[in-house]
Amino acid sequence: MPELSLTVNARAVVVDATREATLLHVLRNELGLNGPKYGCGLGQCGACTVWVDGVAARSCVIPAHGAAGRKITTLEGLGTRAAWHPVQAAFEEAQAAQCGYCLNGMVMQAAALLAREPHPSEERIRAELSGNLCRCGTHVEIVRAVQLAASRLAADA
Amino acid sequence: MTKSRRADAPLTRAEFLSAEGVLVVTRPTPPAAPPTPGQPIAVSGNPAEGDEILLAVWDDGSASALHGHVDLGTGIQTALMQIVAEELDLGMPCIRVMLGDTARAPNQGGTIASASIQIHAQPLRLAAAQARAWLLERAAEWLGAPPASLEVRHGNVRVIDDASRQLTYAQLVAGQRTVLQLAPDTALKNPADYRVVGTRQPRVDIPAKLAGELVFVHDMRVPGMLHGRVVRPPYAGADHGDFIGNTLESIDESSIAHIPGVRAVVVLRDFVGIVAEREEHAEQAMRELRVRWKAWPGMPDLSNVAQALRDNPSTQRLLIDDGDVDGAIARAAQPMRRTYVWPYQMHASIGPSCALADWQPDATDGFALRVWTGSQSPHVLRADLAKLMDLQDVQVDVIRMEAAGCYGRNGADDVAADAALLARAAGAPVRVQLTREQEHAWEPKGAAQLMDVNGGLDAEGGIAAYDFETSYPSNGAPTLALLLTRAVEPVAQAYEMGDRTARPPYTVDNLRVKVNDMAPIVRASWLRGVSALPSSFAHESYIDELATAAGVDPVQFRLRHLHDERAAELVQATAQKAGWRMRTGPQEYADGGLGKGGDILFGQGFAYARYVHSKWPGYGAAWAAWVADVEVNRKTGEVHVRRVVVGHDAGMMVNPAGVEHQIHGNVIQTTSRALMEEVRFAPQQAGGAPAGEMVVGQPQSGVVANREWGGYPIINFRQVPVIEVMHMPRQGEVPLGAGESSSVPGTAAIANAIFDATGVRFREPPFTPEVVLAALNPLPAPAGGDADADADADAPRRVALPIAQPSRVPANAPWPKRKGAWATVSALLIGGIGVLAGVLGWRSTIAPVSLTAPVYSATTVERGRVLAAMGDCAVCHTAEGGQANAGGRAMDTPFGTIYTTNLTPDPETGLGRWSFSAFQRAMREGVSRDGHHLYPAFPYTAFAKTSDDDLQALYAYFMAMPPVQSATPKSDLKFPFGVRPLMAGWNALFHDPAPYVPVATQSAEWNRGAYLVNGLGHCGACHTPRNALGAEQGGSAFLSGAMVDGWEAPALTGLSKAAVPWTADALYGYLRHGHAPSNGTAGGPMADVVRELQQVPDEDIRAMSTYLASFNPAVPDPPALAAQAVQSAAANKGRLLGAPQRLFDNACAACHHDGDGPTLLGVNTPLALNSNLTSDRPDNLLRTILDGVREPATKDIGFMPAFGDALDDAQIVELAGYMRARFAPQAAPWPTLAKDVARLRADRAANALNR
Repeated sequence: MPELSLTVNARAVVVDATREATLLHVLRNELGLNGPKYGCGLGQCGACTVWVDGVAARSCVIPAHGAAGRKITTLEGLGTRAAWHPVQAAFEEAQAAQCGYCLNGMVMQAAALLAREPHPSEERIRAELSGNLCRCGTHVEIVRAVQLAASRLAADA
Repeated sequence: MTKSRRADAPLTRAEFLSAEGVLVVTRPTPPAAPPTPGQPIAVSGNPAEGDEILLAVWDDGSASALHGHVDLGTGIQTALMQIVAEELDLGMPCIRVMLGDTARAPNQGGTIASASIQIHAQPLRLAAAQARAWLLERAAEWLGAPPASLEVRHGNVRVIDDASRQLTYAQLVAGQRTVLQLAPDTALKNPADYRVVGTRQPRVDIPAKLAGELVFVHDMRVPGMLHGRVVRPPYAGADHGDFIGNTLESIDESSIAHIPGVRAVVVLRDFVGIVAEREEHAEQAMRELRVRWKAWPGMPDLSNVAQALRDNPSTQRLLIDDGDVDGAIARAAQPMRRTYVWPYQMHASIGPSCALADWQPDATDGFALRVWTGSQSPHVLRADLAKLMDLQDVQVDVIRMEAAGCYGRNGADDVAADAALLARAAGAPVRVQLTREQEHAWEPKGAAQLMDVNGGLDAEGGIAAYDFETSYPSNGAPTLALLLTRAVEPVAQAYEMGDRTARPPYTVDNLRVKVNDMAPIVRASWLRGVSALPSSFAHESYIDELATAAGVDPVQFRLRHLHDERAAELVQATAQKAGWRMRTGPQEYADGGLGKGGDILFGQGFAYARYVHSKWPGYGAAWAAWVADVEVNRKTGEVHVRRVVVGHDAGMMVNPAGVEHQIHGNVIQTTSRALMEEVRFAPQQAGGAPAGEMVVGQPQSGVVANREWGGYPIINFRQVPVIEVMHMPRQGEVPLGAGESSSVPGTAAIANAIFDATGVRFREPPFTPEVVLAALNPLPAPAGGDADADADADAPRRVALPIAQPSRVPANAPWPKRKGAWATVSALLIGGIGVLAGVLGWRSTIAPVSLTAPVYSATTVERGRVLAAMGDCAVCHTAEGGQANAGGRAMDTPFGTIYTTNLTPDPETGLGRWSFSAFQRAMREGVSRDGHHLYPAFPYTAFAKTSDDDLQALYAYFMAMPPVQSATPKSDLKFPFGVRPLMAGWNALFHDPAPYVPVATQSAEWNRGAYLVNGLGHCGACHTPRNALGAEQGGSAFLSGAMVDGWEAPALTGLSKAAVPWTADALYGYLRHGHAPSNGTAGGPMADVVRELQQVPDEDIRAMSTYLASFNPAVPDPPALAAQAVQSAAANKGRLLGAPQRLFDNACAACHHDGDGPTLLGVNTPLALNSNLTSDRPDNLLRTILDGVREPATKDIGFMPAFGDALDDAQIVELAGYMRARFAPQAAPWPTLAKDVARLRADRAANALNR
């Protein structure tokens, strides 16, 4: 089985990865990460979102070997309970989850947006998240969380 | 994180009951409920398991609280914690809530009917109060003070007047064990004294989810766990009929023999599953296992849901018959008969269902089967699993973990049973994950419903009569594995579930309510607001219609007939909060504040309902009223719900924040259901579904056809309304269920608002743009409207803004020199000799050589490596999955199949015995070392242009490679192409072996480009069309585009259909990086070429670009032209609304947008600039949709999923047709898309078989 070298959450890893495996398979099954979730396998729902070299990406559609040598960041690498990323902290404060299955994608997509564009309009936030589906209808709280995170980041800057 | 506490530890009732240092409150296992005809199965508790545990207070100060329901994302875990904290006077962080697990939680039935707090929290609340009383009494005894002199805070009992005298709960329970039986008459706290209940509390489950900790069943892993996948039968959506469990014909296990790590293939009648060591291999096996099915009758025709429901046999139940309904209708001043129709809808969980099962028949703990599941009915599931596996229920341990929100019953139970069967077969723990397609296709749907209302107005404008009849196809949905294995008989069973909220909320003297109970048509289960939401849609639309007929404001009309005070207060307060505009008919706001002639019609609609559920007459959950503000675009039919104001009366709100979030969720989900959601069924096939393997892309007769989010879209962030919630102040009342109530009036409020905006009444959701437009059209111009603005109001149509037409080839294009007439004649002569010689078998063999050591310098070898990359040698000379340059790749040509040769220096099978002269002759003349002719699929016709010096370097590189032994398979060519000597004649006619001669009038860069493009680069091999004998055509046909290997190699000259002609810069970007901002991305075989070109130095890429650009017209401002093309396509956006547009928006638009969507990995060249959309052939687009992009040319480009398994052929035809119309509005529609899709599917299937 071919070896695959990646940097995951700032740690260099070498895993066995089959030709058929997706990046999502490797992150979940080889590295035991729970953040990225399987939702559709078609890049439609965003539940599996991670960052590849700092850019939001749907890990369910990336063949694992396509990510060779790249830097992957998952929810676990964004922040921890002891030290939340500002977006995670804002999601907690805004209570932006019902079932929480889409939460990973929402946080990763929003954090990528704010890293790029610290002061997005509400319209921009909605557009950025338009490819992340939520069935519970938590959209209101999620948008509020992203705005909250943006204001916190602005205050810290 | 919390440290380990005693409250977290117990896994079973027995562990609670045998522990020391604890106070436990139990209740006897309730006796089996008497069977209720027509109601869903309730599973009684098993007395063998002992009393049920409700609460335990531990000697470390922690407490376990147990409840039989589960948290479906509604936050009941937090609310229950508040209730226990309140009654027990213990801090919330000390409490552990345990939900649903069969071995420890009480059996309180499925988590349904919004009853978790309203009904089922009561035992736990009593238990907490009883425990507190016991603790207080014990403290009083120990402290020697009467209970009245004590107070309790945070698990600490102290004497009010003497703070030094206190005891903790931990101390009070230490060193003993007390078990209390629940006393139903326990005194509860006065709500006026509440400190925790009624306050906004953060959800306790969110931090773990934000940190990616183990919460979801999807993330559960155990040692030795294997991965399972199921293969479902063709009849997606069926749950009755004798074909169920009888349709499997055969499976061919050899079809997956090549997949490593397959541990079991399980076949039990129609249940088919696979277990593999790795998840990706289980998925591969699921796709590749060849299964033959017998013919089956097909699903009933659901193209007309109303008719299907009328035709479905039913039994009528008369629920109410007050007054003289028939007489009143006969006497009505304005009789009114209306029909409302509800479609089948999906639960549409974001996470497809998943479960993990472990089979341990000899386990010492007595559990032969342990299942981790996201089920909402763990005890019912336990009974199902026991039946399926032939076990006692107490041998099954169902551990409930969180899952994606289901809003009713999704595939969670199904997959748990699947996992059980696979775990037993594999003898190991097996995790089964349903695919998105399986979840969509097989989840038991929210049922369709038909509501007929007859009645009307009396002479005074009151309601003369109300005769309501509803038809609801049932929703039992037995767990799938039970049906597929025939552990239960697949018989259609009618439940009495259609009666929720069947009674209208208004007081009517002449009232009749009838329910037609009927068996299911499609496999269905309860979905949020089960049967109440559709019934309320009818009630609240009808009352609005009556108000309009009476000429009375709809809110006032309701209030006249609404005699429930709490309801009337809610209605008034909500209308006031929303700024309700009194009206006596549709307002049809034409200007909507946008000025005269604007396209947006504004409307406001009202609706009210109290969700009444459970067995008739049922009981009420919360009250809810909506005011919806909508915008209707009269030119496109689009409905946007701009704002929703919800008034809500849930009585006491345990956690007001939680209730508010539930209301938001209900509003958003209901808006989605009203505007866009509808299950579609595949067309009927005459004679039912045929026998054989399931054909990918062709769903069988009548089955569920939408299998991903493009076909079944749900609302996204852009469409979410502004929501304002108004809670009625009722904290002194009992708490009422809030999980569903606010969804119930929603659809009618939206329909009423659309009526207000347009004057058109919609009685059948979803209110999609095409439905609305068809009903609005033709809409008379508003009085005083601007004529211009209305000129194209009649229909949406394709509009092509003027953009540059395909450009022409420059007049001075420097076509490459071809053979002159004389050269051809002489070549023919020589060729004739060649043919003769060939026929005689005469062609010299070049003596083999034996190389012992590399004879070339490292610099030369390195130069050769770059040249080999330029020549893409490895692309063709590497078999799929084989060693680089070792040959063996099959090349399909119009003349037959040939195989590429081994270029490594292996003496037997490769170039090991080739001298440079032999290599040079092959490259220039197409003759192999042994003298046999090569076919021009090997592009020696181009390679001949290469200089001797470069050929030397190439040769050096091949000779320096490590030898690989790999014999070349024999080619298979049709006559006469199989006669190799004839190639001599071909060469005489078409081949010029002379090296490239620079054109003096052109620059050095241009000449370098020409040398590379026409030489090693052999661009013409793919991009120049060939004549009947397979030779590249000359003149303006040069690089004018051709088909190769099933892909279109588009024209590289001015004949290109690209929206923006190619420039040198664009070509450079494309060849260097795999994409050009104004021209698109390299895909298909071109991706391989670009990948190879990565090794080629920049100046050579520049040179090729300069040369190729000289065949294209000069473009003064490519970005401006590109912007124009993008704008032209964007102008089409609003004119092509409908299912294909929704498919595109939800399947493609996250990545493919014009800069107004998410930023995701990979380039996003606007599709208007993508030559696959502008081409005359749809092949490249269709292939990309079917197969995606797994191996992009460069890492900039990003990846694309294959949609071939998720979309059916009809959807792909729709999608491609839409993309063409939207992104290439200047081009004619592709005429034969359906055939093209079928052809490419067939190619794909054939390739899959050959693999």
